[in-house]
Amino acid sequence: MSRILTIDPVTRIEGHARITLQLGDAGEVTDARFHLTQFRGFEKFCEGRPYREMPALTARTCGICPVSHIVASNKACDDLLSVTVPPTAEKLRRLMNLAQIVQSHALSFFHLSSPDLLLGWDADVGSRNIFGVMRQHPELAKDGIRLRQIGQTIIETLGGKKIHPTWVVPGGVSEPLSAAKRDSILALLPEGLDIAKRSYAFYKTLVPRFTEEATHFGAAPTLFLSLVSPRGHLEHYDGVLRIKDANGRIVEDQVPPGEYTRIVGEAAEDWSYMKFPYYRPMGYPAGAYRVGPLARLNNADACGTPYADVALAEFRMLQEQGPVTSSFHYHYARLVEIIYAIEMMDRLLKEPDILGTRVRARARSNRDEGIGVAEAPRGTLMHHYRIDEDGLITWINLITATGHNNLAMNQSIRQLAQAYVDGNRLQEGMLNRVEAVIRCYDPCLSCASHAFGAMPLLVELRNAGGQVVDRLCRD
Amino acid sequence: MIGYGSPIRGDDAIGPLAAEALAAQPLPPGLTVLARHVLTAELAEDLAAVDRVIFLDAESGATAGTVRVRELQADASRVSTMAHFHDPRELLAWCETLYGRAPRAWLVTAAGASFDYAHCRLSPAADTALAIMLAQVRQLLGEGPAPAARRG
Repeated sequence: MSRILTIDPVTRIEGHARITLQLGDAGEVTDARFHLTQFRGFEKFCEGRPYREMPALTARTCGICPVSHIVASNKACDDLLSVTVPPTAEKLRRLMNLAQIVQSHALSFFHLSSPDLLLGWDADVGSRNIFGVMRQHPELAKDGIRLRQIGQTIIETLGGKKIHPTWVVPGGVSEPLSAAKRDSILALLPEGLDIAKRSYAFYKTLVPRFTEEATHFGAAPTLFLSLVSPRGHLEHYDGVLRIKDANGRIVEDQVPPGEYTRIVGEAAEDWSYMKFPYYRPMGYPAGAYRVGPLARLNNADACGTPYADVALAEFRMLQEQGPVTSSFHYHYARLVEIIYAIEMMDRLLKEPDILGTRVRARARSNRDEGIGVAEAPRGTLMHHYRIDEDGLITWINLITATGHNNLAMNQSIRQLAQAYVDGNRLQEGMLNRVEAVIRCYDPCLSCASHAFGAMPLLVELRNAGGQVVDRLCRD
Repeated sequence: MIGYGSPIRGDDAIGPLAAEALAAQPLPPGLTVLARHVLTAELAEDLAAVDRVIFLDAESGATAGTVRVRELQADASRVSTMAHFHDPRELLAWCETLYGRAPRAWLVTAAGASFDYAHCRLSPAADTALAIMLAQVRQLLGEGPAPAARRG
């Protein structure tokens, strides 16, 4: 008789989720699903609020990446104002976004994934956690904390320490950068770059141990979506959308972010609160794609900074040809991006106009629809607003990085479970690998819990034999 | 002093609001006040360098408006399943494990009545509790009779 295995909750990710594995008669995995079990409804309760509240309100979606929502939301508001953000303000926003990349990637690599990478998937579950890493690799754990601290300090230097930072505003930023603040940030970067480089060098020595995991951790072919600069370089703040397929062929390029609906469709399933975005021309569910550091590095022609470009060249060598397809290498890509972010912040802070005082374009709303797209640490983040004549939100759509990755995550779990899980002889290490493949994506479920129209909800009551005896369905 | 909580979930905001209220008043030298959405990992290094810390948080489950003061001990068994939020006792354990010391710590909580999303105001009970919370903190700072501490 078929059985269902449940992993609940999935640990060391951001938010609450459940994985179910459907087993066949012989104990083999026949299907796998990643369920988002929390509902928050930001898209509903934002309706009726003034659009200028959106940056502060949507920033509360997430305690780890509020800056990403602040940036994307303000870009949507810029669009509503129909203004061009002054060049200095754009650079300052880029700085804050890059600092966010550093602190968030550090959290993912050092605190969430390092227990698996350093202690092993088969280590005792009681010690395979951050305390185990601290005891066995204290310097690495301290490096992780320090990198987060550096990223967070830069964010606070730019935006202030208040719980409601309002430095990034529609049209730019609220005040210019002072020379003293610039110098204090610059002083942090050499230490940050040293940590990033030695962490990267250390991780490179670990990668050969994980050849088997890299083969099974989400190596099934998908598309890759990200922003790139108009020149095709790595981009986190602006630019154009690019989609590459698993063979490295560019299938969409130079797509203005405001036209995202032409290439991204959204589906919903009755077993998860997370939406299922897909590449529209290929349809659902065939149009699965991945976003985030792996996709960004696969899509970029170059990083454009010295050390990161060396690391990018080494990243490309992880696979003989074409894009790096294994989701296991999200970890690698994060470390490359930390190096890039620190190098790029250094470059931006040394630009002659970084202390410029023209930092905000002022206007009232001049359009009734605005779209803002930026690269959050976990991938492409889209904010889309419609307003009425009074500037009140009438409709809002958020597509988060974790949402974009939803189809690919489900696909990865299925592939991994079929390779490692034997329903006749369960072992902790097997189940932890299933969780670990999800951690590769560093999903932020707090961000990804959304309404999609009227959220379908299916409640099934099953008896001990697994048969459905009652069902409640809300369409 | 670290006040933490979500500013858009009703009474959950009482921790950061208390921190901001305290930061606006004259404070003893050497005291740093932080307002945070959640407690995150990088705070461990800061905490390891201080003598004392007071956490300010909201509480659910108790009678709304109830203010409690507890002394906290480091507890590595409080390991979080995600990194969005750390229990203050876990952060203290991070300090001990990585830096060899943790500060003496207290948790001051006020029980809330409502934690709904998109509510940016305190309930009347929490609003009243905020003033009591601030008075308790002043006592912990040595500016009044010390409250009875309970080990947590």
